[in-house]
Amino acid sequence: MSTNPLIPKDNVPIARHPAAEAWEMFRRNHAAMVALVVLSAIVLVAIFGPYIYPIDPFDMVWAPFSPPGVDGFILGTDYLGRDLLAAIIHGARVSILIGLAAALMSVFIGVTVGALAGFYRGWVEEVLMRITEFFQVLPTLLFSMVIVALFGASLPMITFAIGIVSWTAVARITRSEFLRIRELEYVTASRASGTKNSKLMFKVILPNALPPIIVQAALMVGSAILFEAGLSFLGLTDPNVVSWGQVIGSNRQYILDAGYTVTIPGIAIFVTVLAISLVGDGLNDALNPKLRQR
Amino acid sequence: MSDDPEVLLDVKDLTVRFGVKRGGLFGEPKYLYAVDDISFQIKRGKTLAIVGESGSGKTTAALAVARLVEAYKGTVDLDGTDFLTLEDEDLRQARAKMQFIFQDPYSSLNPRVRAEKIVREPLDNLESGAKEDRQQIVDKLFEAVGLHPEQQRLFPHQFSGGQRQRIGIARALATQPDLIICDEPVSALDVAVQAQILNLLRKLQTDFGLTFLFISHDLGVVQHMCDTIVVMYMGKVVEYADRLSLFNNPLHPYTVALLSAVPSVDKKRRAEMKRILIPGDPPDPLDLPKGCRFANRCPVAIERCKTEQPILNEVALGHQVACHLVDERAVSPLS
Repeated sequence: MSTNPLIPKDNVPIARHPAAEAWEMFRRNHAAMVALVVLSAIVLVAIFGPYIYPIDPFDMVWAPFSPPGVDGFILGTDYLGRDLLAAIIHGARVSILIGLAAALMSVFIGVTVGALAGFYRGWVEEVLMRITEFFQVLPTLLFSMVIVALFGASLPMITFAIGIVSWTAVARITRSEFLRIRELEYVTASRASGTKNSKLMFKVILPNALPPIIVQAALMVGSAILFEAGLSFLGLTDPNVVSWGQVIGSNRQYILDAGYTVTIPGIAIFVTVLAISLVGDGLNDALNPKLRQR
Repeated sequence: MSDDPEVLLDVKDLTVRFGVKRGGLFGEPKYLYAVDDISFQIKRGKTLAIVGESGSGKTTAALAVARLVEAYKGTVDLDGTDFLTLEDEDLRQARAKMQFIFQDPYSSLNPRVRAEKIVREPLDNLESGAKEDRQQIVDKLFEAVGLHPEQQRLFPHQFSGGQRQRIGIARALATQPDLIICDEPVSALDVAVQAQILNLLRKLQTDFGLTFLFISHDLGVVQHMCDTIVVMYMGKVVEYADRLSLFNNPLHPYTVALLSAVPSVDKKRRAEMKRILIPGDPPDPLDLPKGCRFANRCPVAIERCKTEQPILNEVALGHQVACHLVDERAVSPLS
């Protein structure tokens, strides 16, 4: 049998992966590109910084309240004479780690709940969505404070406390995407060719539902970092590890005398969260096909 | 189960209903009967068409036959197995025998999957044979539907509508099914491409000995493709006949009106055929009339039509019609 004469052979377009197209779109968003560079730098600092600048942030190394740039301490010292630069560098690790882990946890819970609810409908959806609403109406900061206060302020517990209050948005987004995509013909087609339910859910529908979930997850890393800062500002943090929020919290009494001790970690949080948000925005451009033609 | 070994698909009393609203805590649940008690048979290697206007239930009937929509009652007997009673794993395996070609080639292919994997998916699901064998089958299918082997690695959005529909056809052929259900396979394509796809389907039918259940609203396409025709209106079969009887001697007033709406380039035929306009809208599917469902639009309806529902009657050999005004003489009330 001959091939279709209407398609000239040299006119066959090259196979481009959707990821390559997404990167193309991302690159067009200049703010997101700058943010990506900044964010990469912060991540590099978090990973390698402690080896390059191995001063223990808990060591009292100099006189208290030494301003930035004076006496060889680039960012100065805090009320106990501890090096602030060391605190920022070592704190980056904790803040970003908690941000990532909490976001990952919320994505995991949210996608599972949303996928089951949107795929099976009926009573499964009713039950799961009522549970989601229960978590949505909880006062989030208060609830995570209670968890940390009750079960101890270890890093895993703080991550858990943040994750457990922030998965609801992911669940709702996942469910709505599933409700939309499950009615599309290619899902019916896949079912007609004998695809198992589990495969339909996670191999057929989920990859197509991912773009808004990825964007939400990126934004959630930022809000988790903020959340952690809030908790440690209130003193609900692991006292054995330094984090940006903790530095702000412990220096807050001296805000009028030595403003830089709270401003500098504040700027670190601000820049990181802003960079993550802008990258999230760039991902939205890259992954949302409705904006493609813009 | 049918006694005739020639019959591949035997659908009996198929009914599909949808619950519309719960009507509060104590309200009676209301049901919309999208497909109401339809029966038909398809012989091996033949093509049966279900035609009707939008909302007549033809697509729902097709989906119910393929178990993509749950039927309320009835049987769908494919080569001795009742499709509607199969469960989970048995159903999954049985799906290989009955495949579906969808209406919209733009939404029926997963945008994130390469063409070769789309076509291979039914084989992967059955886990039949080695991976290399499956790839060989895919190669053959691409050739059979007229696509280049180089195109296997492309994503759906890199194909035109006609090419996409070819991928859909290749996917339906992958498991060597006995029956292929084509749900308006060309209505989303432009006319030149329609002809290509229809000719491809016919060629594949003779090459592979396929049986088609063809859903369409385009009588020109149906005349080109089909051996037997079922005309549906508001979920009911109004006329069921072989192609020649239906096109030469349409009996039900609705069928006559449908046929008169087919444009023709034949001057003589155009002069003979008076266009029959049917006024008004179909009745509310939630509040169906007691009598014939077409009575409110029928130009020749009598009092009996409004009170008594006509049943499907065989008025001539292989020609059934549901109309009070048609008797054994098989003369259309409109002539």
